[in-house]
Amino acid sequence: MGNSSKDNSTTDSDTSSGDTPPSNSSLYSDGEKVLAYHGPRIYEAKVQKAELRKKEWRYFVHYLGWNKNWDEWVGVDRLMKHNEENVMKQQALDKKQGVDKNTKSGRSTQTKPKSSTDAKGDKEDLKNNVSKGKKRKNDAAVEKGNVSTEKLVKIQIPSTLRKQLIDDWDFVTQQDKVVKLPRLPTVDEILTKYLEYRSKKDGMVADSVGEILKGIRCYFDKALAVMLLYKKERKQYNETIVDNVSPSTIYGAEHLLRLFVKLPELLAYVNIEEETLTRLQQILLDFLKFLQKNQSTFFLTAYDGTKSTEGKGKGKDD
Amino acid sequence: MASGGAKGKEEQDGMSVHSPCKAPPSSASSVPREQAQIELELRLLEALEIYPPAKLQGIHRHFVLYGLMEFLRRSFGRQFTTDEVLQLLDRFYNLEMLKPDEEDMELLNHEEDFCLPQNFFAKEES
Repeated sequence: MGNSSKDNSTTDSDTSSGDTPPSNSSLYSDGEKVLAYHGPRIYEAKVQKAELRKKEWRYFVHYLGWNKNWDEWVGVDRLMKHNEENVMKQQALDKKQGVDKNTKSGRSTQTKPKSSTDAKGDKEDLKNNVSKGKKRKNDAAVEKGNVSTEKLVKIQIPSTLRKQLIDDWDFVTQQDKVVKLPRLPTVDEILTKYLEYRSKKDGMVADSVGEILKGIRCYFDKALAVMLLYKKERKQYNETIVDNVSPSTIYGAEHLLRLFVKLPELLAYVNIEEETLTRLQQILLDFLKFLQKNQSTFFLTAYDGTKSTEGKGKGKDD
Repeated sequence: MASGGAKGKEEQDGMSVHSPCKAPPSSASSVPREQAQIELELRLLEALEIYPPAKLQGIHRHFVLYGLMEFLRRSFGRQFTTDEVLQLLDRFYNLEMLKPDEEDMELLNHEEDFCLPQNFFAKEES
């Protein structure tokens, strides 16, 4: 009806993609191994089911090596045949993600129950794959949790603590000294003291504050070796943190403070509503002020000169 | 409130994905309480679109939980305890069976030396 009369075929006209065959034969079959777009990357997947819905083929795919809860319905535009050419596309996107230091953005937000938004999402996926493989939308509700620099929470470190960090830098990198371990109080103890301090002040502390403190401890334990040590401290770390000892029971305020320098980056991996982020920011700031208040008892004014690695060689640790 | 029976059939891999659970048979009690429970569960499911359960197994889990707690606090105008939220979650997900988020591996495999940003060294204006 209203189509160009050139075409004598009995099927409906094609969708815009040139690849789509006449709608009564499916491009992909049950059990076929394919490559599928998800977020800015391409993954190996297997077609579990194929259905014709409103004249379009839809495929229920399972991503190989991923939990079943990622299985989803996708359209033809999300899939590709598993051949050499497309595998190369996959590798190209992988490399690109590596260079951009992007996280697997498509994997952070999970639930995709609505089919109507699915189609929209698919087309956007494609567009982004073509342009830069990185999403920068700030829509908190559904969007993938990217490491997006616009959303970095600002943590203002009080000036006396900033000075503390400079002294810390100076001791370790310029004077080849290290903090004497174990510390007193430890990170663990400091966090507990803060909770006690809040309880006295507010009468009752919400569990939510407790979660934040647990979160800080968790970050500290996991992130210390990954991003909080100067090179010259690694030897001491390796000698001290053995047998599953938690760093938060050994290290103290000096290293905890460094965590706060990195905290915005760490939190960027989590999609958090703006309002909640603001609250979080306030609590973190309150914690820093608590550190500042207790600076003389929590922080060392002198470091140990005997145990650093690479004793020779000054020069700015960059 | 007993939670065991309701999620039985969906439990193959610890995930009950699509349908909200029915109220457990034991709560033959008052209708308002059931409604309140349903309201709680619906809000939780809404919250999970922002704070995905998958992230409750990784290093960010406490902040994800914090997000959930704040979402519920704003929805219902009261504080929620960690236990309350975990119990609500437990009705839908078997948390221990959730696969840890892959993003964490990327973060934790990228070891680098600490570096104090330049702006710390800038002279302060007097």
